[in-house]
Amino acid sequence: MRAQASLPRRAERPGPAVPRLDSQLVVIGVVGGVLSGLLGVGGGIVMVPLLVLWAHYGQRDAHAASLGAIIPISIAGIAIYGIAGEVRVGPAIALAGGSIFGAQLGTGMLARLDERVLKTVFGVFLLAVAVLMVVRR
Amino acid sequence: MTGTTLYLALAAFGVLAGVASGLLGVGGGTLLVPFLTLAVGLSQHEAEATSLLVILPTAIAGTLALRRRGVGNAGLAIRFGVVGSVGAVLGVLLALALPAATLRIVFAGFVAIVGVKLVRDGLRRGVRLS
Repeated sequence: MRAQASLPRRAERPGPAVPRLDSQLVVIGVVGGVLSGLLGVGGGIVMVPLLVLWAHYGQRDAHAASLGAIIPISIAGIAIYGIAGEVRVGPAIALAGGSIFGAQLGTGMLARLDERVLKTVFGVFLLAVAVLMVVRR
Repeated sequence: MTGTTLYLALAAFGVLAGVASGLLGVGGGTLLVPFLTLAVGLSQHEAEATSLLVILPTAIAGTLALRRRGVGNAGLAIRFGVVGSVGAVLGVLLALALPAATLRIVFAGFVAIVGVKLVRDGLRRGVRLS
């Protein structure tokens, strides 16, 4: 009787205290990791859409999960690149100082700008960057 | 660019990249790597390695900020990333096995795909979901 009474209460909890990593998360993490290591990016660009469309995360939770995952993923990438002698610490520190400040600035500006215009302009800019990378060497 | 000027330019560009990533969720490595190769003159591999070292503290700062606001589950996210780090090791080994010129073309292809995706999202009409 007591065990029966305690079961529904458990089911009513908003979520387990220690959520399990299911196979979907494992696949998404590994895919994000490969992209991150191969290209030196965070990997959020593939992890966020996969978490939303495949694992049915909400947009905010997907962003949070991706951002947290980037911590161990980038540490692993830095370690291997470090052994290969490719990491330039000085420039990274200068860039990171600016970037942390800028990210807060950007998040604060979010509500005041038209996201669609912003995406279009930035997308066109990235296409130009892609062309430049191929042409200039 | 040398010495102090270089570091001021790097910090200023870091602010720009940070603003872009805060606004759009992209703009970390996607901007840092081309900047480090085209403007600073690092090799493709050096630029990618250095980009990751910029992304790490930025992701830590972002995760701490989200945790303060009670968004997401940082513990699960980190464990998710520990699994992902296996992929990261494979990705770096693959990058190191590629010649710089090839890796640069692969990277340019990636930037182009992100660019097309953003333009498509930006031009899409109707209700935004996010």
